[in-house]
Amino acid sequence: MITGAWICLFAPLIGAAFITFMGQDITRRQAGWVSTLTTFAAFGGALVAFIGLWAESPDNREQTSTAYTWLAAGDFDVGFQILVDPLSTVMMLIVSGVGGLIVWYSMGYMAGDDEERRYFAYMSLFVFSMLMLVEAGNFLLLLVGWGLVGLASYLLIGFWHQKPEAVAAAKKAFVMNAIGDATFAVALVLLVWETGTLEFFGVFDQAGSMSSTMINLVALGLLGGAVAKSAQIPLHTWLPDAMEGPTPVSALIHAATMVTAGVYLLVRASPIFELAVDVQHLAAILGAITLLAAGVIALVQWDIKRVIAYSTMSQIGYMFLAAGIGAYGYAIFHLMTHAFFKALLFMSAGVVIHHLDGEQDIRRMGGLKDVLPRTHIAFLVGSLSLAGIPIFAGFWSKDGIIASAFAVDDALGAVLYAAGLVGALLTGLYTFRLYFTVFHGEQSELVAEHTRHEGHGEGPRSMLVPVGILTVLSTIGGLVVIPGVWEPFLTWIDETAEPLVHATVAEDYGTSAIAVSLALVGFFIARAAFRRGRQLVTRPALWRVLEHKLYFDEFYDALFYRPAAALADTLRQRVEEPVVERSLDEIGSGTIQVGGEVARVQTGLLRTYALTIAFAVAVLIVVFVAVR
Amino acid sequence: MGNFLVWVVWFVAAAGCLGSGVAVVSMQNPFFSALALIGNLASLAVLYLLLAAEFLAAAQVLVYAGAVMVMFLFVIAYLGGRADAPWAGGSPLLRTAAIIAAAAILVEVVVVLGLAWGDNLKDPAEVSDSFGSPGEIGELFLTDHLLAFEITSIVLLVAAIGGVVLGLTREKEPA
Amino acid sequence: MSGPGVGWYLIVAAILFATGALGVLLRRSPLIVLLSLEIMLNAGNLALIAFSRQIGELDGQIFALAVMAVAAGEVAVGLGLIVAMARRGVALDVDQASALRG
Repeated sequence: MITGAWICLFAPLIGAAFITFMGQDITRRQAGWVSTLTTFAAFGGALVAFIGLWAESPDNREQTSTAYTWLAAGDFDVGFQILVDPLSTVMMLIVSGVGGLIVWYSMGYMAGDDEERRYFAYMSLFVFSMLMLVEAGNFLLLLVGWGLVGLASYLLIGFWHQKPEAVAAAKKAFVMNAIGDATFAVALVLLVWETGTLEFFGVFDQAGSMSSTMINLVALGLLGGAVAKSAQIPLHTWLPDAMEGPTPVSALIHAATMVTAGVYLLVRASPIFELAVDVQHLAAILGAITLLAAGVIALVQWDIKRVIAYSTMSQIGYMFLAAGIGAYGYAIFHLMTHAFFKALLFMSAGVVIHHLDGEQDIRRMGGLKDVLPRTHIAFLVGSLSLAGIPIFAGFWSKDGIIASAFAVDDALGAVLYAAGLVGALLTGLYTFRLYFTVFHGEQSELVAEHTRHEGHGEGPRSMLVPVGILTVLSTIGGLVVIPGVWEPFLTWIDETAEPLVHATVAEDYGTSAIAVSLALVGFFIARAAFRRGRQLVTRPALWRVLEHKLYFDEFYDALFYRPAAALADTLRQRVEEPVVERSLDEIGSGTIQVGGEVARVQTGLLRTYALTIAFAVAVLIVVFVAVR
Repeated sequence: MGNFLVWVVWFVAAAGCLGSGVAVVSMQNPFFSALALIGNLASLAVLYLLLAAEFLAAAQVLVYAGAVMVMFLFVIAYLGGRADAPWAGGSPLLRTAAIIAAAAILVEVVVVLGLAWGDNLKDPAEVSDSFGSPGEIGELFLTDHLLAFEITSIVLLVAAIGGVVLGLTREKEPA
Repeated sequence: MSGPGVGWYLIVAAILFATGALGVLLRRSPLIVLLSLEIMLNAGNLALIAFSRQIGELDGQIFALAVMAVAAGEVAVGLGLIVAMARRGVALDVDQASALRG
């Protein structure tokens, strides 16, 4: 079982290293196979670990394994340590399973690209980093995985490095994540200072004895990292821009796995957050704000991938909400179902984009229902799951979260409950707006053009099979939690993180009824607007604000970038040019000048030299007499 | 009476010394300068005698006046007109500085002498009659100061070789 | 017999030395410079011998003898130089021998 976990961790790394070192000696297709197969090998390892853990008795379900002591300084030491427990095995399965499907899909999507090998090496690197993040047994290794996924994200967003927008987006993602990394690191420093260890269980045991300020600071630092990595407000502006990367990258990193790392952190460090209740509630509030803001922005976006990106931001808001009120099981459950249907949506969108030779503007699409029938079904399933229509996966998880908000008895709970319900309406609206615009209606010119030329199927098998598998998962994947009947998933996660709130079955189904009706209202409004050819948002002022993504980018530009750039310019003009640049010239010319002056002593005349000697003698006589 | 004679001799010799010294420095014709130097050397020899350095007085006359000055005269004769040495030239600053330097040295030495006049320079030591005789000097040269003796001879050898080398005519030189 | 004290000889030597120094510094002909140099050396000799008489040791005279020998050698080389200069047509002017000018 532990071996399985180690294999799971290292198989993708071996894949990445193999592709890197073989370079041009393997074909591009072979690189793709290496990456795919190692990721599926990781899935196998995860499965072994999972089954092994399941077979253990519930008391024995926290197993750690240390490869070697990585860092030792005095009393403090940190090992290369992995932790196999219910939470980490679930995450391992999701990352390696969905990851494997997406890497397989990339073989078809990225076929023909010149730098395919580099792509697959980066993908394997990413899978390794994400697995390290979820398997880490101490905070330091988690931070290492955290940083490495940031790196992989940067490399993959900027994969098409000839495009300046892609490069800029990669930098933006990395810098914003760096802010989160910084707060995370500060939190770790405080932990080491107070508790002297970074192992999860060591820290959690001693957390109770830390002062309230300290614990709040640590929790804030961890929350900062989570907010940046999961693209919650206010550190969210990088996620829509990250869509410049290839679609499989968007599917894997910016939907299914990396952006959910923040949620994982909130659940894993729940003992700390439970002691810093205000920070935990802050997480829930941020989640609620994000879910609403992202939802309204998605109503006006034209790029198919950006709509899905804002949808991701919104759904992660739900997960933050859940983790913030203590419904850890539902948070992870929604993480899993979201991975299924969001990856499905991205991948189907990828089939569409691939078919239309890279077109992503939905205004130029339409009528693809008959052209790409299977993709249409997949996208529809994904949309239904996202909107939370029973019996699809999203229904079970999202409604569980909203019901848990209801179970929190105070004002905060009421606000979060309302936010969750409004979010359900918004989700229905933007999801079906997208669905109708892309697949229904008359075929646009672009679509007609491409359909005439292509004669074959919707896409290669490597693209269609993973989509098919995810379609199935998005349909039945939620059936592991049926409130009142069986809840094995929740019980499994409860062993790691005991939930703070528990809705009753009646509350659960009551909330579901309201949420589903709201989603259906959204569906009908979207369909009606589409049929009439109108947009959902018509007021020009409102449209402008939403189209500019609530002006966050402009605000950050004015607040951070402009002053920094102005300062840099001033420094360059006032300090660097006159002082540093010119001083170098002056040192040179000054030395030459002084040398010229000194050279005048060398007159070449014997008499001056003799004169100098005579004067020296005169002086020396005085010196000798005085000294004596 | 003897004392007075000594003083007179001293005076004459000293005057001759200083006078010929000034003459050497100031004459325009180098031949006359060389002759003045010979006079200077002779006066000095007399002074040496007064200081009980007989051997050195003899050596001075023989070596210096006899050999070195003859060499000088030979060269001056060889050079002929080219050796004429007018006073002109040099920047005024240089000349003033030179006078100042020389004067400074002179003044300092006189001052130092004045300071030491009372104690160190009071009475000369008692010396035997053979003080300054060739025998004694020879003895010292070959015992206490043997190294100086040998090195001096090497220096003379080097100088001789140097003189020869400098005087060589290079046959292969292009005209 | 007593005569002038050692101090008087030393004064003569000092004046002689200063005179020679002036000659070295002020004259332009290398020949005259050499002659002035000889005066300086002799002044030094006089001082040495005077001191030797004062303290009653012969070391001063030995030193003066060595100085005489070295002076002779130096004059030989110096004159050789002057003859070489004259043979090559270089003007016998100390101020013009300024090849060391930096």
